[in-house]
Amino acid sequence: MQPDLEPARQPPRTRRSRLTWLDAALAVLCTCAVGYFVWRTHSVLDYRWNWSTIWPFVFKIDPASGQWVPNLIVEGLLTTIRLALWGILVAGVIGTLMGLARTSKRLLPRLIADSYVMLIRNIPPVVFVFVFVFFIASQIMPVLGIGDRVRGASPIAQWWISILFGSPKLIDNFFLGLICLSVFSGAYVTEIVRAGIESVPKAQIEAGDSLGMSRADVVGFVVLPQALRNVLPPLAGQFIQLIKDSSLVSLVSIQELSFMAQDIQVATQRVFEVFVFVAALYFVICFGLSQLFGVLERRAARAHR
Amino acid sequence: MNATTKLLGMLALAVGVLFAADAAVAQQDNLIDTIKKRGKLQVGFSSFLPWAIRDKQGSWVGFEIDVSTKLAKDMGVELDLMPTAFDGIIPSLIAGKFDVIIGGLSVTPVRKEQVDFTEAYSQSGQGIAASRQLASNLNYPEGYNDAKVTFVCRRGAAPCKTIEDKWPKATVRQFDDDAIAFQEVINGNAHAILTSEPKPTFFTLQNPDKLFKPTNDYVTTSFEGFALRKGNPAAMAYFNDWIGKNKDWLKQRHTYWFKGRDWASSLPAS
Repeated sequence: MQPDLEPARQPPRTRRSRLTWLDAALAVLCTCAVGYFVWRTHSVLDYRWNWSTIWPFVFKIDPASGQWVPNLIVEGLLTTIRLALWGILVAGVIGTLMGLARTSKRLLPRLIADSYVMLIRNIPPVVFVFVFVFFIASQIMPVLGIGDRVRGASPIAQWWISILFGSPKLIDNFFLGLICLSVFSGAYVTEIVRAGIESVPKAQIEAGDSLGMSRADVVGFVVLPQALRNVLPPLAGQFIQLIKDSSLVSLVSIQELSFMAQDIQVATQRVFEVFVFVAALYFVICFGLSQLFGVLERRAARAHR
Repeated sequence: MNATTKLLGMLALAVGVLFAADAAVAQQDNLIDTIKKRGKLQVGFSSFLPWAIRDKQGSWVGFEIDVSTKLAKDMGVELDLMPTAFDGIIPSLIAGKFDVIIGGLSVTPVRKEQVDFTEAYSQSGQGIAASRQLASNLNYPEGYNDAKVTFVCRRGAAPCKTIEDKWPKATVRQFDDDAIAFQEVINGNAHAILTSEPKPTFFTLQNPDKLFKPTNDYVTTSFEGFALRKGNPAAMAYFNDWIGKNKDWLKQRHTYWFKGRDWASSLPAS
């Protein structure tokens, strides 16, 4: 790292970390407000909380082997995590390609990418999910024939597939949700990537050209690295949004966390326990991801200096 | 790029999608042959007590599950259960996600326009449960026909229509799930709920201080049939024949799931 030559440009260091009486007063006020809220809810909402019924749905004892095995909630959670990770990857690829197409000099790529973004950004997510699944995906899925191919695969391949994509029995269901979610989120990623590409100064591209780099090299080594670094914060926001949006595909019977939660609600009749518990799980995943992106952002900022 | 080119591009895409959708509906041969060739009967249903519920082990149990299991066994094929969100169950059938809905789907004129129903394999009644706090002083049934009275029901389910017919002046609020709808009545935010028995009875027994039953009679009875995509006469005849042959067995299973609670011990206690 090079020595700091311009100390005057540094942000002021004096961040107060000591609590004053004003902070204490505010803290007391907040606690009172929360307490009042809880008390009000308790008196208005007549509900006998009973958390014990949902635990068996997290882990159960398998009657055959007598061992603890994951039950519906963990299965749903794993599906949601798989949807999220693959979704981020696929939406990221779609977004990068479409972002490049959207900033292309040629008309056709621009036309395709513009239609894609406009079409999806101007439809409510729920409507998109329904239209996509019933009109488009029901055409694509039988052609892909993923389920049949997986069932024909070797046991080792099946084991890997079940780790990466979940139970082979539900693989069509999973891919349907994944495609739906990726196509949907990809449109928003496209816009973020476009903003990133447009933030790269023209001089950089011209410099690349003048060094005799090919078009692909300019894009791959000059434009995209700078573009993606510039848009890391909004990109992180969009990926966290993707995880939360994954609950939308429960509407079309993709068996992820929200869908399982609905089934458990019906079985246990414990509405709020299931809601609260599932919300906490979503929070943990999204919070974890935002911490991870925080680390990435700081690293990108250091590399930038 | 101008606005016209953009619009044309989108239109072309939309037309392409519609044509693709049309082609899928057109190709359809004998459903029973398709099922037997595949070796699997795909059944769409939605979780609903006691039609289809998850037990403590997370497996499916219930009246529908018994019916589907026996049907698949008699056809000599595997059973592929496809739990589906109730809102999308008919579109899913039409889109070809599964062969048949065995999901407590009541036969209604509106649904008959979209799908074909077999003969009834079960008869169920809609029952009412009301809030002690709000509805104790109301006369049943005329007192409930008032704009101040709020009914709740499961969205898209048959009871919503019944409320409209019987108590046209009442306010109706629809929920995605019965458990939430019941909670609304227990909390005193709605006067009454209409849903298929035995749920109203069970919930009233579980919450005797909050709920009561204005009447123990069925508000209305409805018949449930298997739902098939339109234009499958051979499959229709096959299923009707199966239902006819198994009348007594169906009645016996229906009694087990709807008249008693022997099965409750395998479910998570609420």
